[in-house]
Amino acid sequence: MNDKPNLLSSGAAIVRRNKRYVIWFFVLNFAFASMGAAAFRLHAASLLDRSLYADGVLHGFDLGVFSEMLGRPEFGSIQAATVPGMIPAVLFFVLTLIFLPGVFLGYASDRRISREEFFRTCGKNVWRFVRLAILFAIFAGIVGGILGGIQNALAKAADETSYEKLPFYVKSIGLTVIFLVLTAIRIWFDLAEADVVIADRKAVRKSVGKAYRQTRANLGRLFGAYVAISVVALLVLAIGLGIWDVMVPPASVLGAFLIGQLILLLLLATRFWQRAVAVSFYSTAVAETPVENQPAPVSLTVAATPQGDGI
Amino acid sequence: MPPRKPVVLLLLATFVAVPTIAQNASPALSIPNTTLAINSPTPLSQRVVHYQIDAKYDPKTHGLDAEETLTYHNLTGQALDIFPFHLYLNAFQPTSTWLKETKRDGTRDVSFEKWDSKNYGSEDIKRFEVVGQGDLTSQLQFIQQDDANKDDRTVVQVHLPKPIPPDGYVEFKITFHDKFPKTLERTGWKRDFLLGGQWFPKVGVWWHGAWNCHQFHGSTEFFADFGVYDVKLTVPQFEIVGATGVEVGNVNNPDGSKSVSYHADDVHDFAWTASPHYKVYEDNFQGSMGPVKLNIMMQPAHLGQEERHARILKQSLDHFERWYGPYPYKTLTLVDPEVGSAAEGMEYPTFITGGTTWWMPKGLHFPELVVEHEFGHQYWYGMVATNEFEDAWMDEGINSYAEVKVMDDILGPRTSIINQWGITLGERELQRLSYISVADLDPMARNGWQYASYGSYGGITYGKTAAVLLTLEGVIGEDTMRQAMHTYFMRYRFTHPTKEDFLKTIEEVSGRDLRWYFNQAVYGTQVLDYAVLKVKSTPVDWYKKKFKEKKGETEYQSEVVIQRKGDFLFPVDIAIAFDNGDKVREHWDGQDRWIRYTYQKKAKVATVEIDPDHKIHIDRNNFNNSDLAERSEKPTRKLMNYWTFVTQFVAQLLAWWMV
Repeated sequence: MNDKPNLLSSGAAIVRRNKRYVIWFFVLNFAFASMGAAAFRLHAASLLDRSLYADGVLHGFDLGVFSEMLGRPEFGSIQAATVPGMIPAVLFFVLTLIFLPGVFLGYASDRRISREEFFRTCGKNVWRFVRLAILFAIFAGIVGGILGGIQNALAKAADETSYEKLPFYVKSIGLTVIFLVLTAIRIWFDLAEADVVIADRKAVRKSVGKAYRQTRANLGRLFGAYVAISVVALLVLAIGLGIWDVMVPPASVLGAFLIGQLILLLLLATRFWQRAVAVSFYSTAVAETPVENQPAPVSLTVAATPQGDGI
Repeated sequence: MPPRKPVVLLLLATFVAVPTIAQNASPALSIPNTTLAINSPTPLSQRVVHYQIDAKYDPKTHGLDAEETLTYHNLTGQALDIFPFHLYLNAFQPTSTWLKETKRDGTRDVSFEKWDSKNYGSEDIKRFEVVGQGDLTSQLQFIQQDDANKDDRTVVQVHLPKPIPPDGYVEFKITFHDKFPKTLERTGWKRDFLLGGQWFPKVGVWWHGAWNCHQFHGSTEFFADFGVYDVKLTVPQFEIVGATGVEVGNVNNPDGSKSVSYHADDVHDFAWTASPHYKVYEDNFQGSMGPVKLNIMMQPAHLGQEERHARILKQSLDHFERWYGPYPYKTLTLVDPEVGSAAEGMEYPTFITGGTTWWMPKGLHFPELVVEHEFGHQYWYGMVATNEFEDAWMDEGINSYAEVKVMDDILGPRTSIINQWGITLGERELQRLSYISVADLDPMARNGWQYASYGSYGGITYGKTAAVLLTLEGVIGEDTMRQAMHTYFMRYRFTHPTKEDFLKTIEEVSGRDLRWYFNQAVYGTQVLDYAVLKVKSTPVDWYKKKFKEKKGETEYQSEVVIQRKGDFLFPVDIAIAFDNGDKVREHWDGQDRWIRYTYQKKAKVATVEIDPDHKIHIDRNNFNNSDLAERSEKPTRKLMNYWTFVTQFVAQLLAWWMV
């Protein structure tokens, strides 16, 4: 009998139990994006709000009207309208980095952790997560860069042939390979993040080393779960955009808003599902490790706090 | 395809007999009266030239060796002792005028920072003989009349010892070698593909009392006299060949090559293509002068789109025949060139290139757009053979206008270019967009190489001309405009009309003096921009102490001020709608800078719209053509919603991978 838990279902259960994290992160992202879109709104409103010509982008999406809007001096430079929208994206990444340790702790706990525990864990692990992010960027950058270079060289060679579809196939296969390799690296660092938080390990390199060994030893299982979730994410995106295209009337601003936000919420949930899979795996792995080798799971021993203060 | 015997015999007759006679007795020279390639019992043009070319192409070196015999009929009314020739392929050299302009102004196709010398192109005359006057190779002289660039070798001139009298003939025998460039623009090779355009020494046009033989410029196209072409192309047997005119011979040679022969009547250029990969799809169109055989040469990766190409080709033929006049040729070859070859979207007589990709969704109508446009050139360039160097708007622009009309009719005014995933774009919008970004830079009536930039050349010659003619349609009416285009085509087909020929035809058919419009739109750079400057409704009794507004009862004094912001004078209609449903329509001659309209009604102004029928296509800013009394934020909210979605998505993607 196989006593290893199903990572997908156990991960899903963790996310379901801790829905609030997905919601909070979603709200955070939405709030930032809304603020970032204010510049765009300001620029667009000066042209659209009092013009019948704007109907072209309301009842359908007339690319001619949209292009003319972007080209008008009153709209200003496209950069001025759009760059402010990208700053919140970076901000969201930074805040994810800061608050994710709390999420890992919450996922590892079988009870609702308190707000104090959450933020204390976040504060304690900020620098560790920054280091992990830098290490990930180095590894992923090197591996992705090498693979990307190979892919480009192959695509260029394919482009010299008379088989028009060949460069596309080469690029598609190349991108898939890069995606899969980066997913493996992501698994490795997700496990390292789990180890850093749950074991309260100051030496990040030890977590990275341990996560590497765990990933290598269980790659098939973890990889299968991660890829399956990625496929779910792609399906969410494809089906969501399909529904948006087919079912939402062009002039329905509310309908487009709701379906768009639902897609983003579900996409966000799939990533949290992956993290929950990492935590679930890590917890099982720790349980299977001999007691003398186990790190002290400091955070898990924190006394329970009243339900209302939980986060 | 096996050759047809009578056709082969006829070709042999023209190929063998005519040169022999010409060599031995110049007075017996003539331009053939053949009608093999046209659905007409008599020639359609005043034939000035007869080109006979025997060429052998080597795909390994991209080189071509050829013998050209050109018979020229002097119809200029005066003796000629100077003859200029185009050597277009010499443009693909690093010091040519074409390259200098391309580097300076941009190009329609690839941009290049590095250029390997093995990819250059060249066209060398090895021997130049004038029958009866001897070998004049040493007399050839490169000339640069447009820019004095001494390194430009795209026009060569010869001075004959004995002038050719009026109505006389002269026969040139030219041996030349081509090295086709790796395609940078229109002509050359890519991988196994070759598009042979502008590949042979071609005599200039005697036009308005002088030779018209411009250098090859970065943006300009071509100009040549009508005549007859007999061309034999020898290529390896694995090549699949297509060309201008009708195929009249296809013989396998013992050395592994094959010779494919073509004959064309009443055309002014000859282009061909070869690739071992073409999949040829044949179709037919029943034209008003006779059947037209359609050869569609597809790339293997585009199989499945041949029906799509054939459909738009036949629809275009049908529209042009109904609206403008008959297509008289027996063939039309549509080449789907190698992707990325920079040979897409090009026109030659009875031979056009399209442009698609293997993944092209049905809602993206770019293949249809290119095919329709290039087909349209069979009329506006092919038959109405305007000077593309000096009057680019007359072929590209008039053709773009026709393209808008045809594409609108086939695929819908708002969806003729894109109708996919809820996104739409119409042809007339695209033309206008390309114009408004360069609206005040250049007039339409300008030599093609003298535009401020390639963007201006494109925006004005294509976009502005289309928008100007669409706006003119609003002035004289759609039916009158179509009648004028039909008259212009029928009157000037197989000739070289000028801009005034076109403009006067429109005035004649419409019965109106349109100089006020042409002077601004064609010869000027005036910009048209009308705007709603002010809309205000004030209660008449606003000063009374116990005044309170009541809908339907309160009387308002409303004023609407319309401003002419641009310097283009044009009469406009203005529609004013009130919040009780009343509508008023005004007409303003646009002579002053602004005009005020006042109304006293028990209603406030709800909306004001300039040009409510959307007849004006040259207004630089459509957003200020209307005003709403109450703001409507829905369009802005919709776009903001999209933008928010994008930024959220990017944020999540970043966070997905990085942490």
